[in-house]
Amino acid sequence: MERNTQKNGLINLAVTVMVFIAAFAVTVLANSLAGEAASVFLGIGALVAFASWFQMRLEENERLEKLEIEEMARAKGESALFESKESEVFPARRSREQFEKFFVPGFAVLLFLLEAGGAYLLWQWTGKSTADIASAHAMPALSLFAIFALVLFLIGRFSVTIARLGNHRLLRPSASFLLAGAYICFFTALGIAGVKIEFPKADFWVARALCILLGLMAAEILLTLLLEIYRPRIKGKITRPLYDSRVIGLLGQPESLFTTAAQTLDYQFGFKVSETWFFQMLKQNLPALLLAQLVILLLSTCVVFVEPGEQAVLEHFGKPVAMLDAGAHFKLPLPLDNIYRYSTEQIQTLYVGFTPGVDEAQTILWTIAHNQEQNFLVGNRLTAAVQKELGESSDALKAPPISLITVSIPVQFQITNVMQWAYANADATRLLADVASREVVKFLAGEDLKDILSHTRLGAGQELQARIQSAANARKLGAKILFVGLQDIHPPTPIAADYENVVGSFQKMIATTNNAAADAIRTNTLAGAMAFSAVNVAEASRIQLQTVARANVALFTNQIPAFQAAPSVYEQRAYFEAFADATKNARKYVLLVTNTQDVLIFDLEDKIRTDLLNVNPE
Amino acid sequence: MKRNLVTTIVAAALIVIFAMLLFSFQVRQSEVAVVTTFGKPVGNITEPNLYFKWPWPIQKIYKFDNRVQNFEDRFSENQTRDQITILTSVYIGWRISDGQRFLQVFKNGSVPAAQQMLEVMLRSAKNAVIASNELSGFVNSDPQQLKFEEIENKIKMAVQTQLSTNNVGINIEFLGFKKIGLPESVTQTVFDRMKSERQSIIVANQSLGDSEAMKIKSTAERQAAETISKASAEAIQIRAAGEAEAAKTFAIFQQNPELANFLLRIDAWKQSLNQHSTLIFDERYPPFDLFKYLPTNSMTK
Repeated sequence: MERNTQKNGLINLAVTVMVFIAAFAVTVLANSLAGEAASVFLGIGALVAFASWFQMRLEENERLEKLEIEEMARAKGESALFESKESEVFPARRSREQFEKFFVPGFAVLLFLLEAGGAYLLWQWTGKSTADIASAHAMPALSLFAIFALVLFLIGRFSVTIARLGNHRLLRPSASFLLAGAYICFFTALGIAGVKIEFPKADFWVARALCILLGLMAAEILLTLLLEIYRPRIKGKITRPLYDSRVIGLLGQPESLFTTAAQTLDYQFGFKVSETWFFQMLKQNLPALLLAQLVILLLSTCVVFVEPGEQAVLEHFGKPVAMLDAGAHFKLPLPLDNIYRYSTEQIQTLYVGFTPGVDEAQTILWTIAHNQEQNFLVGNRLTAAVQKELGESSDALKAPPISLITVSIPVQFQITNVMQWAYANADATRLLADVASREVVKFLAGEDLKDILSHTRLGAGQELQARIQSAANARKLGAKILFVGLQDIHPPTPIAADYENVVGSFQKMIATTNNAAADAIRTNTLAGAMAFSAVNVAEASRIQLQTVARANVALFTNQIPAFQAAPSVYEQRAYFEAFADATKNARKYVLLVTNTQDVLIFDLEDKIRTDLLNVNPE
Repeated sequence: MKRNLVTTIVAAALIVIFAMLLFSFQVRQSEVAVVTTFGKPVGNITEPNLYFKWPWPIQKIYKFDNRVQNFEDRFSENQTRDQITILTSVYIGWRISDGQRFLQVFKNGSVPAAQQMLEVMLRSAKNAVIASNELSGFVNSDPQQLKFEEIENKIKMAVQTQLSTNNVGINIEFLGFKKIGLPESVTQTVFDRMKSERQSIIVANQSLGDSEAMKIKSTAERQAAETISKASAEAIQIRAAGEAEAAKTFAIFQQNPELANFLLRIDAWKQSLNQHSTLIFDERYPPFDLFKYLPTNSMTK
């Protein structure tokens, strides 16, 4: 029985090494991330299989040595035997002990480094790698990984059973790795299959899951190594090899989960739940149940539900055979029939001239950049006219008669012809965006800056919609352009302020004119008033002149009799009345000439104003 | 026994599935497949269906998308015939016309490698065609002068000719300009020119405003002067009329000229004195001649 076990160990080693080499070759050929990670697992499995096989050989040698010594002891007697040193008498046992004492911990450390390093490097590499699975090699790689899984499963299952039944602890590590390797290869094949059926990230995610598994194994072996330091050494007690991973054991023998679960349930419920018919039925029929589930899964692919607003193309062996509208439909299972869904009713939007982003500004201004806008070239009739006027010899001709403009144009469309949309172009959405961009570029290149900012803007949206629709039809895109909106069209942000200033200058011009008009009104009104006043003053003067003249005539007429009656008295009276009245406010000096002794000096000059004296001497 | 049966069924199902995977393949409507036997291409399969094959490594299947694939080249700098530098980006639609040839020319039928080769050809053709056209063919306020289609067709023809010569199994379906722009330095100069245009409009508006204001003001002043001068003339006429009316009374004064002159003198005398006048009299002048009768003066005398 022991000999068979050793042979099993050797078979396990050989199979693991061969599958590792084959898997690595397939991985390089197919460029699969999951295959790369699976190869690392299989490589580690080969190392473990080698270590366990080698340890099996040592134990076998020890057993043979023990038998031989016992035989010799029986022949020669015991006394002579125990006189020599034990190490000299049991070299095989000594070798086995040295192996377990030094090699196994060292090998465990090596495994830890490989697993931890492998997990880290694979994680980094899978994150950076942009290469896709080689399309031509995907199917062979998928098939080969499936075959690897089958081979590993059959041999691993056999080894695990032998290891469990014979309680061969050293066969268990390689057997567990074989079974785990089978599942890993199976999932790798699934990952590659996922890429084939339009789930391009499937291979990546399987690789990432395997990285995590490698990390778990590294953590487990590190923990085992730490616990090994404090483990009580009891002579004669058989210990589990350090390189025998419990994680791999659980992965390779998931039915052991049943045992653990049964024990937990028994403990929790207080009675033998594991002995109930239901639990036993689950345990005994697990493969059948899994098979039934797979069949149900396959059958479920025979029914397809097309959502409202969707249309689906049904392909039979790759040939489109029907167009499915919303509702339930039956088809053959995968991979015979496939469906491809398209949102035909949904209004989709693409953007020309800008990349929409989160713009929380409540007010959208030309002078503040919003979204990521793109400048377009537009004609400039003004510059062209100036150049024409200046003539060909002018340097101004070297300046291109162009301007720049920023436009934000959302284009809304619906898929109207799914067959064209799906089968005429590899990336219809991108092509429609390219076509729309081209039409906008061409349209603006033939427009004048001033016109497009003013009167032609209104019709530009409709014109662009017609042009994009025509171009989309020419490219057999099967899309209807519903709306083309010039939601934002303005001079580029760096010169937007200058355009606003032009508007301001118009206002200033009007303000200046209005101010002048106000001044004119004031001037004319005042002039009118002054004219009116002058005429009135003149009229008043005239009236005064006439009235005074008439009054003077009347006075004079009355004065004549008085004068004629007493001419001298009248004159004297008139003179004195006038004198009194006229000199009332005048300064008067009366000189009495009889006073001859005093000399009177009169300074009759007016005093000069003091402010006129304060002149600066300089 | 039951478990063995189930295991056998599972194994058999898996073997059938794997065998199907190894011995058959599908070609979709959107695909063209190339079958190779021991590495030698044996034909294109363009009809969608299920096909059988020998497993790898005897036969290998290469599938390619036979729909129109499009990509755009990089936004690159070119010079026009009139020595103006522009940036252009072109999108190109191409299709694999011969899968077998495509597989032979590009390693493993690599689409990125094909696009890389196309981009090199495209850039070369684009530079040549743009250099033979003036900027007015790309941007012109007169749409009739634009040569968009003509330029695009020339680039397309140049690339297609090159592809046909090399026989790479690719056809060009369409080509169009996706972006046309200017280098940063030129963009800045265009901005400066656009600013200067705006500035000239601003100055024109300001000048127009000032000019209009001046016109309005001068017109108003002229009208005001006219109004005032008219009013002054009318005032003079009114005053003259008043003078003429007053002059009619002079005949009355002629009845006694002596008295009239005396009164006029008296009136002029009154008018000529004001509060700042300083008058010096002696006792001989009436009415101050009364002082000579004062006792003080007599005693002194």
